[in-house]
Amino acid sequence: MELLLALAIGLLTTCGVYLVLRERTFPVILGLTLLSYAVNLFLFASGRLSIDAPPLIAAGARYTDPLPQALILTAIVIGFGMTAYLAMLALRALSESGDDHVDARQEDERP
Amino acid sequence: MLVSIVGLVVSLTFVRFSAPDLALTQLAVEAGTILLMLLVLYYLPHKICTPETGITRKLRDLLLALGAGGGLGWVSWQMLGTPFETISGYYLEHSVPGGGGANVVNVILVDFRGFDTLGEITVLATVALAAHVLLGGLVLKAPERDGDGRRWSAEAHPLFLSMMMRPLLPLAITVSVFIYLRGHNVPGGGFVAGLITGVALVMQYLANGIAFTQPLMPRHPPRLLALGLFLAAGIGLASLFYGRPFLTSAHGHVPLPWIGDVELASAMVFDLGVYVVVVTVVLTVLSELGRLSLRTLKKSEAD
Repeated sequence: MELLLALAIGLLTTCGVYLVLRERTFPVILGLTLLSYAVNLFLFASGRLSIDAPPLIAAGARYTDPLPQALILTAIVIGFGMTAYLAMLALRALSESGDDHVDARQEDERP
Repeated sequence: MLVSIVGLVVSLTFVRFSAPDLALTQLAVEAGTILLMLLVLYYLPHKICTPETGITRKLRDLLLALGAGGGLGWVSWQMLGTPFETISGYYLEHSVPGGGGANVVNVILVDFRGFDTLGEITVLATVALAAHVLLGGLVLKAPERDGDGRRWSAEAHPLFLSMMMRPLLPLAITVSVFIYLRGHNVPGGGFVAGLITGVALVMQYLANGIAFTQPLMPRHPPRLLALGLFLAAGIGLASLFYGRPFLTSAHGHVPLPWIGDVELASAMVFDLGVYVVVVTVVLTVLSELGRLSLRTLKKSEAD
């Protein structure tokens, strides 16, 4: 199980970094979303994996580590905020410059 | 779509490894993200291939990505293999006596680390304000045809969807109130409840159209943002009057007629602040994007 999660984190990071390095805005937004999944899972893994041990206080129950979970909960919502902000920036940039490239192209290259 | 599936799988992972709160939140965020992506994708240019991407650059990017992915995967595998000692014993011990709630994750969010959460909802409120500034008055050229040259469907809003969504809205809001109220003891809380309400309201936009929904929505989202932040910060300041540090929470049992003994914590007001801010942010961002399409439509009709 641990190996599977590590592989998933690696795969998500690979896809995320590759997409972030693309030159148009939409893949960059997708890439950052994937990267934030990877980072959330990584943080989650730092609390170790345990099955059937939710951090709800009850008599004689086992608990997993609640601290990473609390951090990730805020990270998920912040991640949505960041994605939304990037998307709006992309739209604004599209209206200002007329195309959706991340690097501004030189004047003479522009068609 | 693929990203949404990845998000659903991530949320299933959280369910499997005993993190019900995270799974709920991830699920609700996914719904918002997919709407956002679709709205943005509508405006971005359609051309598929970019001729200037050389093979060397692709190879370089691939190598970089493989390095980063392999590295993080390896690090997390090593980390998962080493034993560790948790520092969360304190939270687990003090959650019920100190915070008055059995859901440790929620108690950490609204009580032990309330200051973090206050900062976080401030960031979210900033995103909503940025939506106003960046998209206000913006007019984009909407593509008339899709990538293959077909025209968009003229039939705007399916009757079935719009009829279904009206009775569903009170239902969804009831569910979100329920989730908000139970958040202190079982999975739930202000974040998830806010996301559910937000997505339910955005569904009204989808089902009935902006022209129908817009007049029914709150006029001044920034004021709602201020209300949410004021609730969260105000309850923190209130503890100063009792000579305790900022954001100390109190809790106790209040007998209510009809309902019985209800456990109340001042952290619930804080959670209410979180709820208001999250609803307003989801609503503002997605409805600003929607209003953009309304302006675009008006412009193309005027032409």
